[in-house]
Amino acid sequence: MTGLGAVTSIGRNLEETWEGLVAGRSGIGPITLFDASGYRTQLAAEIRELPGGYEPALRRRLSRSDVIGLEATAEALRDAGLDLDREDPTRIGVVLGGGVSGLLDSENYLEALLTKGPGSARPTQVLNHPPDNTTVRIAERYGFLGPRSTITTACSSSATSLGYASDLIRHGLCDLVVTGGADSFARLTHGGFNALRAVDPEPCRPFDRRRKGLTIGEAAGILIFEEEERARRRGAHIHARFLGYGITGDAHHMTQPEPTGEAGARTLAACLKDAKLNAGDVDYVNAHGTATQQNDSAETYAVKRALGERAREIPMSSIKSMLGHCLCSAGAIEAVATVLTIERSVVPPTIRWGERDPECDLDIVPNVARDSRVRVALSNSFAFGGNSTVVAFGAF
Amino acid sequence: MRPVVTGVAAITPLGRGLAATRAAIAAGHSACAHIPGHAALAARIGPFTTEPEMPKSKARRLDLGSQYTVVAARQCLADAGWDLAGREERTGILLGTGSGGAGPLTELERQIVLESPEAASPFLFPNTVANAPASQAALELRIKGPNVTLIQKDPAGLNAVLYARMLLTDGRADALLVGAADEWNAVYHAAYERLHVLRTESHPGFVLSEGASLLLLEPEESARARGAAIYARVSGTSFVGRSIAPYRRAAEPADLVATMRAALADAGLSETDIGLVHLSANGSPKTDEPEAEALRQVFGDSPRARYARVKDLLGENPSSGAAQLALAAADLRDEPALGAALVNGFGAGGNFMSVVLTAV
Repeated sequence: MTGLGAVTSIGRNLEETWEGLVAGRSGIGPITLFDASGYRTQLAAEIRELPGGYEPALRRRLSRSDVIGLEATAEALRDAGLDLDREDPTRIGVVLGGGVSGLLDSENYLEALLTKGPGSARPTQVLNHPPDNTTVRIAERYGFLGPRSTITTACSSSATSLGYASDLIRHGLCDLVVTGGADSFARLTHGGFNALRAVDPEPCRPFDRRRKGLTIGEAAGILIFEEEERARRRGAHIHARFLGYGITGDAHHMTQPEPTGEAGARTLAACLKDAKLNAGDVDYVNAHGTATQQNDSAETYAVKRALGERAREIPMSSIKSMLGHCLCSAGAIEAVATVLTIERSVVPPTIRWGERDPECDLDIVPNVARDSRVRVALSNSFAFGGNSTVVAFGAF
Repeated sequence: MRPVVTGVAAITPLGRGLAATRAAIAAGHSACAHIPGHAALAARIGPFTTEPEMPKSKARRLDLGSQYTVVAARQCLADAGWDLAGREERTGILLGTGSGGAGPLTELERQIVLESPEAASPFLFPNTVANAPASQAALELRIKGPNVTLIQKDPAGLNAVLYARMLLTDGRADALLVGAADEWNAVYHAAYERLHVLRTESHPGFVLSEGASLLLLEPEESARARGAAIYARVSGTSFVGRSIAPYRRAAEPADLVATMRAALADAGLSETDIGLVHLSANGSPKTDEPEAEALRQVFGDSPRARYARVKDLLGENPSSGAAQLALAAADLRDEPALGAALVNGFGAGGNFMSVVLTAV
């Protein structure tokens, strides 16, 4: 990984986001994007100020996800120090996770359609919703002509996109891939998780006994994947290595994780195998840690099953306590944080933690960041539909 | 790796299965028809039962895209003679879609907007996400290997083949259900209609479609070892990205030529090896005309290859591209003298893909 970029509820860029994570800053606050009265919760981790600087004609065609995705990509490309004029555009791919994407715009269209009838809204608003829009916008802006893919596997979307991106490099189809994801807030996801009673009326508390569910967030996290030899040759700063990924299906339930951790452990084991790692090599786990009752206990069981004794010796924190659950970009922003954890030897905390749950008995780095040497780290993503992906990163 | 196709299934507006779809195409039937309240045509499946593949009682909680996918997945595994027992964790599903989840999504939005947040159905929500069809099929069949949904306009099913080759090469699964699924949706139909890109009585365009088509892909060695009947080999895939505003600007023939040639090169074949081309053409002048020109440049004015233009009959959506792969695989098995088939998926968003299948 030679470039990183981020836009989150706690930072307009990578450094602000990282400082916030290390300081234990929460991005969760009252919802401003729509009238949230009548829901179980009125809280979310919204990005308060969207990046600007777009011509109005272009801005009208961009969704919220497109804007933050483009911003994080610009930062990641600057960070990678690439001279794009000298690169072969046919060898540069874009692979992102996305799902909610431009839905907030589509909702305005649907609302107008339902309440005022056809002819009252711009059809491009609904056609801007599909998640592949952000991918195409990024490729378009920089003239990248290589393979493009957009993966939607709910909350593991952007973790899976990192896997696909690494395969494009591993199999020689690309020299560089812009990967990660951008996803933003919408009434549908808020309403849906509320209807499932999967949201906490208060800010979420991962791994805490009193946890009542997640808080939705939004973010863009972009990583530049580059073939190692090439990166060395051009003298690029290398943040970390992508060591491998595991991808499996639970086939258990559409909205519930497999409770014993058997399914999650299988994903972790697949990742370790692909990355040629042993449990003892792992120094940190960036948890999925959504703060639902079911996820946090199942995930704890999964990590204990897969890593054995090692699970008790290493930290495992959930940055969703600060950024909320960024859904289809959660895996991306958590990957960015995991890479920085390795590079800077600081483990971000799980904030708002107060009461121990016997079912969540690993070292979740309560409330305060910790200095810790991390050479190898995993990031977990477990999704609705039982789509599970675990990615592994190593120090360079 | 050049995996082989050992099973096929196609749930399309022309038939509930590949055989019925092929027969309808051979007879020249078209699924494109008028639908009430709209000027533009649609290619709909119409009344659909999941039986015998899945009991109606279970199907009720699934959206249509998921129902098509479950039935296609069962048909495909049966066709391949792939027994899941003991292989659940080594079997996966890769599904492309353009509109997965659209039906439940628009219904949930209706509940929230017109009724109240309290009216939102918790049962609808999980089906609003585009990975619902693949995940519902995995849940129903108990498939526990890699499970990925790819969103892309027209060539998403072809993209699933590209990813499947990499997953199989790296040993992440022993067999993958690969294809695409879509559900026709009135809101999207109306939006496209207002952009004047759909076919009506008075102007050309594409016809929105639905369905689910799948191939079972396996490494050739293990497929032969288990004595599987092989339809064809996936020997080439290519992807060229371009920057074109969807539906506004025409594709450049040179890019489509490059896409087809890259797939041929990947397959180690020349244009004279191709006996069948499944065109991307779907009635949109902005991609049909450049494709026709690109075909002339690659295959000349009197090609050996037969050109199949089935989207005129089947309509357009990623699931139609997957149906073309299934049709091409079946043609290669029945007519090995064709040699090889090229399937084009030239998406309106500048995502251009080609896949080459070879007879075995």
